[in-house]
Amino acid sequence: MDAYLAAIAIVALIYILLALGLTLQYGLTGLINFGHVGFFAIGAYAAAILATHGAPLVLGFVAAAFFAGLAAWPIGLVSLRLRDDYFAIVTLGFSETVRLVITSEKWLTNGVQGIPAIPRLFSGLTVGIGAQLAVLAVLLAVTGAAVLAMRRIVRSPFGRIIEAIRDNEDGLRALGKEPARFKVQVLILGAGLAGLAGAFYAHYITYIVPDQFIPLVTFYVWMAIIIGGVGRISGAVVGTALLMILLEGSRFIRDVVPGISEVEMASIRLGVIGILLVLFTIYRPQGLMGDFSRK
Amino acid sequence: MTLAIRNIRVAFGGFQALDGVTLSMAAGDLVGLIGPNGAGKSTLFSVVSGFIAPDSGEVRFGDAPLDGLSPSARARTGLLRTFQVPREFSHLSVRDNLRAAAPGQVGEGLVGLFFRPGEVARQERAVTEKADAIIAFLKLDRVADVPAGRLSGGQKKLLELGRALMVEPRTILLDEPFAGVNPVLIAEIVERIRELNARGIGFLVIEHDLQALTRLVPVLHVMDRGRILASGDPAAVLDDPGVRAAYLGGVA
Amino acid sequence: MFYAQLVVNGLLQGLIVGLAALAITLVFGIGRFANAATGDAMTFGAYAALLGHGLTGSLAAAGLAAMAATAALSLGSYALVFRRLAGRSAVALLVASIGVGFAIRAGLGLGFGHGQQLFSVPLVRPIRLGEVIVNPFDLQLAAVAAVMLAAVFGLLHLTPIGRRMRAVADNRDLALVSGIRPERVMVALWLLVGAVTGIAGMMLGMKTVVSPDLGWEMLLPAFAATILGGIGSPLGALLAGLLLGVAQELSTPFVGFTYKLAISFVVLLAVLLVRPRGLFGRIEGVR
Repeated sequence: MDAYLAAIAIVALIYILLALGLTLQYGLTGLINFGHVGFFAIGAYAAAILATHGAPLVLGFVAAAFFAGLAAWPIGLVSLRLRDDYFAIVTLGFSETVRLVITSEKWLTNGVQGIPAIPRLFSGLTVGIGAQLAVLAVLLAVTGAAVLAMRRIVRSPFGRIIEAIRDNEDGLRALGKEPARFKVQVLILGAGLAGLAGAFYAHYITYIVPDQFIPLVTFYVWMAIIIGGVGRISGAVVGTALLMILLEGSRFIRDVVPGISEVEMASIRLGVIGILLVLFTIYRPQGLMGDFSRK
Repeated sequence: MTLAIRNIRVAFGGFQALDGVTLSMAAGDLVGLIGPNGAGKSTLFSVVSGFIAPDSGEVRFGDAPLDGLSPSARARTGLLRTFQVPREFSHLSVRDNLRAAAPGQVGEGLVGLFFRPGEVARQERAVTEKADAIIAFLKLDRVADVPAGRLSGGQKKLLELGRALMVEPRTILLDEPFAGVNPVLIAEIVERIRELNARGIGFLVIEHDLQALTRLVPVLHVMDRGRILASGDPAAVLDDPGVRAAYLGGVA
Repeated sequence: MFYAQLVVNGLLQGLIVGLAALAITLVFGIGRFANAATGDAMTFGAYAALLGHGLTGSLAAAGLAAMAATAALSLGSYALVFRRLAGRSAVALLVASIGVGFAIRAGLGLGFGHGQQLFSVPLVRPIRLGEVIVNPFDLQLAAVAAVMLAAVFGLLHLTPIGRRMRAVADNRDLALVSGIRPERVMVALWLLVGAVTGIAGMMLGMKTVVSPDLGWEMLLPAFAATILGGIGSPLGALLAGLLLGVAQELSTPFVGFTYKLAISFVVLLAVLLVRPRGLFGRIEGVR
């Protein structure tokens, strides 16, 4: 396996973690989180700040999931009181506000200059791409554990309840169940996964700045779960893989049409995601692989 | 458990949807509620089940006042309701619709789910058994694994009744259980309601199909414009001139 | 007097927010969804104005170019996207509008590059009113906004198509059964919204620098003003925009330059949780 493939696989697994979180929140529970990147950013910064201050790396990962989950708690309480489109706007505002905070609080985040020199994981393994493969192995294990936990959830009483919330909240209330607790838990869990993804991202990319945490990242993840089929764990994985092929594949445009700059590529990716969002909303609202139904 | 509804008033903007409704039924009663469209029947159900807060008046179930309780808290007292437009969990199978309604599941908590797998599995077996028994009782076996969204209107009505039965109901408010149901199935549902009633479950039934309803209930209340117009024996109530003018006159 | 100066600065910012919120509230009221493409459509208007201004040097030409181009873009987005989603959930339309916004921004990035571009606005001696300094060019911009607003409210209240638009906003079903042709109302709506958005974008571009990200940053304040003003209330959107613009400027000495945008988020959240109908809206369920 060469370094390029390993790099893509690492990024893909980070996105799969994000997609799993969103699948839990939107695919299974119907909560429209347009601020996923905000939780990702909190995780990345929590891990980066702790690591650059000499804290043990494991502590950074725990803190990343913890603080992202903590930030989701008030958002969850807000979700109980808002219709879904208003909640979507609030979450979008939340992630933009997170970006404002990390831009402004220079004492903590170094503002627009960002945090450089975040230690790589397994930097002791210097032979070949040994460190990268080790990161890949850890990410695979974490993602695998997340997939297993989600499968357990989907096939459980908890899973039935959250899917019932998505399908008909009042119908569930009439049966004596209180959706509030479930929604808050799901938002916290999904945000925790996003925070964990952020920690991996920070340690992999080693240099984070606020501009990496724009809403486009949120919609990459949305695109991934829409392509993969909303509400399926396998859809989150397959959709992310397809999205990665799409995003990475777009680099090859430069081989065909020479002279395309990096910023132009950024525009092209933005445009592709935009057009795909529109096309899928019009023609395949439940994605390529089917709809919410299980099995 | 007596359901006592006293002097309920609800206004939407300038429209007085419920104008002092008082109605009570004893435990295990089988009671019908009819009235023209817009009379306030479904609004009354929503008030009793806690989905709409009344401007004034009170609802008691047994010894406990329900006022201020959430819909889910009311359901947990054993007072269940169904909806005029069925609220099935459309992507869940019929069986999972029923299993979702089962109360007191350890596996509904994340801690229980991951740390008490044995207990979760044991409860799942019991809940599945109970759900399958109700599915058989309601003759929904053929569609047990079908996503509820694909059921016919009548099957959805049965499904809602089945979900309510999972919760150990004392009294069920049925909102138009025969709407969109073919006559054969209506006879079936009537039979099921009778059997459940014989086991002690009370029913308050909103229905437009007067023939089916009068076959089912010994007591009938008629609503019009947010008030109870008449109450009592179905034949007598339907002969009441006021009722004929307000209700039957409107239909004929 | 420092604060008086901030209020004056805030009023012009507020006009821009108010115009953007007016565009959003019209779509929300009549089209029934939150149009997240509004910010990027403003950017489009700013670039159109930049071209118009570069060719002629006249503010009027810039305004006309922004209005015409953005109205065309707006109608195009309706015809190609939003019309096909009629009857779908508000969320589906919101997602699609985000996609439309991305596509517009991508197009602008490819067409004009990512560099910052400036309007070559002539330097004029500022007017002193006591301690407060007013830039005459700002007064011109305010005048443009005033003309636009007069045109919008005139159209809404004095013309038959405006009355139909308000009827659809009030009660869609009733309006449709009483013989209003929705297609014509929608075409008028999107043209009007595009013109308003274009002027808002031009003003924003003239007050700052034009880049493809220009309008997106305005989306949150504009949503906040829409909700503060009461969804579907054009006058409310305008007043709430002014209020928010002034509040942002007044808060700057206390919370710093970057956090003034966070004011919008706080306002948005507070209004939704405490008084969801906003200042002027009717009672409408937000949950």
